[in-house]
Amino acid sequence: MKGIIISGDFENICIRKKSSTFIELGELMIAENNKGKVLLQVFNLAFGSQLSQQQLEFISGLKIEESNDLKLMDQNLRNYNLAFAKSLLFIENDVARACKTLPGFFSEVREVRSEDLKFLSKPENALCLGDLRSGSQVLDFPLFVDGKKVFSHHVLISGTTGRGKSVLMNNILWGVLWDDYCGLLVLDPHDEYYGKAKFGLKNHPNARRKLVYYSQNNVPIGERTLKINIKLLKPKHFQGVVYWSDAQSQALQSYYKEHKEEWIESIVLEKPLQVSFHEATLSVLKRIILNLLNLSVVENKIQCKGVFDLTVGETTIKDITNDLKNKKTVIINTNNFNSQVELLIGSIISHELFSESKENNDTTISIVLEEAPRVLGKSVLEKGNNIFATIAREGRKFNIGLTAITQLPSLIPREILANLNTKILLGTELKQERQALIESAAQDLSKDDRNIASLDKGEAIITSTFTKFAIPVKIPFFSEEMKKEEKINKNFEEMT
Amino acid sequence: MKFAHMADCHLGGWREPKLKELNNKSFCYVIDYCVKEKIDFVLIAGDLFNTALPDMESLQVCIKQLKKLKDNNIPVYFIAGSHDFSPSGKTMLSIIEDAGLGFNVAKGEVVENKLKLKFTIDEKTKVKITGIIGKRGGLDVQYYQELLREDLEKEEGYKIFMFHCALNEFKPKGFENIEGMNVSYFPKFFDYYAGGHVHVLQKNSLEAYPNIIYPGPVFPNSFSELEKLKHGSFAMVENNEVKHIPVKFHETLSYRIDCDNKSVEQVKQELKEITNTDLSDCIVTIKLKGTLSSGKPSDINFTEIMNNLLEKKAFVVLKNTSQLQSKDFEEIKIKSENVEDVESAVIKEHLDQQAFGQEFTQKIMQALSTEKQEGEKSADFEKRVIEDVEKMINN
Repeated sequence: MKGIIISGDFENICIRKKSSTFIELGELMIAENNKGKVLLQVFNLAFGSQLSQQQLEFISGLKIEESNDLKLMDQNLRNYNLAFAKSLLFIENDVARACKTLPGFFSEVREVRSEDLKFLSKPENALCLGDLRSGSQVLDFPLFVDGKKVFSHHVLISGTTGRGKSVLMNNILWGVLWDDYCGLLVLDPHDEYYGKAKFGLKNHPNARRKLVYYSQNNVPIGERTLKINIKLLKPKHFQGVVYWSDAQSQALQSYYKEHKEEWIESIVLEKPLQVSFHEATLSVLKRIILNLLNLSVVENKIQCKGVFDLTVGETTIKDITNDLKNKKTVIINTNNFNSQVELLIGSIISHELFSESKENNDTTISIVLEEAPRVLGKSVLEKGNNIFATIAREGRKFNIGLTAITQLPSLIPREILANLNTKILLGTELKQERQALIESAAQDLSKDDRNIASLDKGEAIITSTFTKFAIPVKIPFFSEEMKKEEKINKNFEEMT
Repeated sequence: MKFAHMADCHLGGWREPKLKELNNKSFCYVIDYCVKEKIDFVLIAGDLFNTALPDMESLQVCIKQLKKLKDNNIPVYFIAGSHDFSPSGKTMLSIIEDAGLGFNVAKGEVVENKLKLKFTIDEKTKVKITGIIGKRGGLDVQYYQELLREDLEKEEGYKIFMFHCALNEFKPKGFENIEGMNVSYFPKFFDYYAGGHVHVLQKNSLEAYPNIIYPGPVFPNSFSELEKLKHGSFAMVENNEVKHIPVKFHETLSYRIDCDNKSVEQVKQELKEITNTDLSDCIVTIKLKGTLSSGKPSDINFTEIMNNLLEKKAFVVLKNTSQLQSKDFEEIKIKSENVEDVESAVIKEHLDQQAFGQEFTQKIMQALSTEKQEGEKSADFEKRVIEDVEKMINN
């Protein structure tokens, strides 16, 4: 027994703590009544005393100034701790439903046990997000969500630097590689998931079958060099990447209309247009395209120095979308690119993916976006819409979702934030950021501000339309010891 | 140093007698060209033959030409391709090697569960050549996955790596569904990567991989290739300068008729108009596509039309009506024209119902799809198939 309920109301149940026990913020507890169990979560702690404030001050003075050995008679009866909890769920015969009742007055409160949580059964397409946590105590109870549902309805991973966003993402990607329920596109600006020089997703037993890694340079053995043929580019791919003036935008469209897939070459080589545009407009257009695509013109011939190429990479985008539809995880190392090129690559793939998903959306696909406000931020969207915002708004109809990672969720418009139906909250110090999360959460987190602020490294709260309550979890460390490699049979016949 | 690089000769591939002969003629032309140019050696990057055990006629042409090269002191280095490879190792390529008419450079040994390739050194030029065979369904990827690269990359001198597979980075548009391999599987720092399998003419390079060359087929191997490529080709390399040399005996004229919402009479009229062109000595391909507004494809008398075209002195006329349909049959959709793709898709679809994997299934199917060869006795044929399958099961 941890304590007993002594007062309060539905949202604020006051528990007197038993002196010999320990209660923490965020801790899950069970209070029983004659019908079933009420799952409670502590959101605040306070001191309680039978003595008046004046008496307490006097006694403390005696202890400091006169005798340190001074002890109160029946100390545990006179001074104690109070815990304030909210009702999360009512559990009756292992079935959980919204709580609409109070636990009994003076009813005992105890710690939560695995058998209380049988209602958290393993769903179809189970994706493990960590172990259930009660306060800072990790329970031997892995928490699963339905990955297919969660990914198609968008995910937000939020937390301050160093709180475990990357570890969580690594665990999620590792978990997804075990199953065949979704494709994930990861634009990885820090090249941190594949594990080029350390343990990473490349070490997953299913990596050869299910992981595809693209990089521009120093491509690991067996992985793919990222090359995109410039013929695959369309004007719409630049939306949200370059902010064209009206004249530039019209010139761009005219080039595309007249020169079809050779429109980029035509701009760069200054081929004539039937519609006339101001020389300066075309010149700016050419300069932007040359810089962005890392092209140059020598003796009226285009030279390609970067990812975008004239001859190779004709099937790259189709190959990526096909892999995603085949439920693979595609990681694109964007480490060497500036932010604009990275967004352009993401935009090209996302546009094509979205178009294809409108035709056929059998497979759930999620696009993992690091530093999401770069494309979903209020200031960015004020300048014009982009494909990522479109996917955030409409994607779930077509089974395509976003997994947005950020430490500044408040920069994302409320309307989009509310569309991200699963939020994984890691420690967030800034009040403004916590507020944005609380206001857009799937469950009522109005009393959890302190709880979120106090989340330690690796501790998270999952709030989702697909969970019955905001679930506290501990994200396991991502290491080689935890993920053992599988041996692969080898066969060299016919070559020896 | 001067050498020729060819691939995908597919000798014996065409059933149409004139095209079969033309295929052989193209091969002979390349060899004669090599002799005339007094080159140092010839590379054949897979699929010399269309099957592991080719017909006598193609074999005769091939052996005669290879003998010509030998007589002129021009060595031939080859690897098996996805078509002329056999799981039992009993292929015409091994006989060619045993007869001293060529060297199979796809040789290696297993070192600590890894594949270590050996170099074959050309005596005259000291060029070091090695390579990996091609197998159907991308089954050759395992060799690359377990390849020991360090020694290959450190080896000094002019090095050539022969391969027979599609490379993802270079796949042309329309080849999205072809199983490919990533370039990074190749050992780095070779001077020349001699490719085959994809019937395209390409000259590419990537960081640490210069001169990745596809020479194109010596002669187009299908209707669509005739449409696209028009003629055969090979690569000639002189002092590391690569040139694609065309192999052309006839003009190829390709016609595509969009039959959507057209009546049989309208289509007939369009076909008739082809005869107004000068077709003398030309290969003519006609592709009809779409849904007829009335009538059935069988209402078009193709025999008569083709005879008319032949009367106009066309060398050969080929038609393709696989995408032509009448309204009654609109619901039938052809997903793939390629039998191998259909097989692969079916295997993949039923993989979870099988006790064994895709690789094994494909190997078994490949072994069982072998045909009885000319002159081969039924008992020998049966024995060969059983041996092939047994070998696979025991492995």
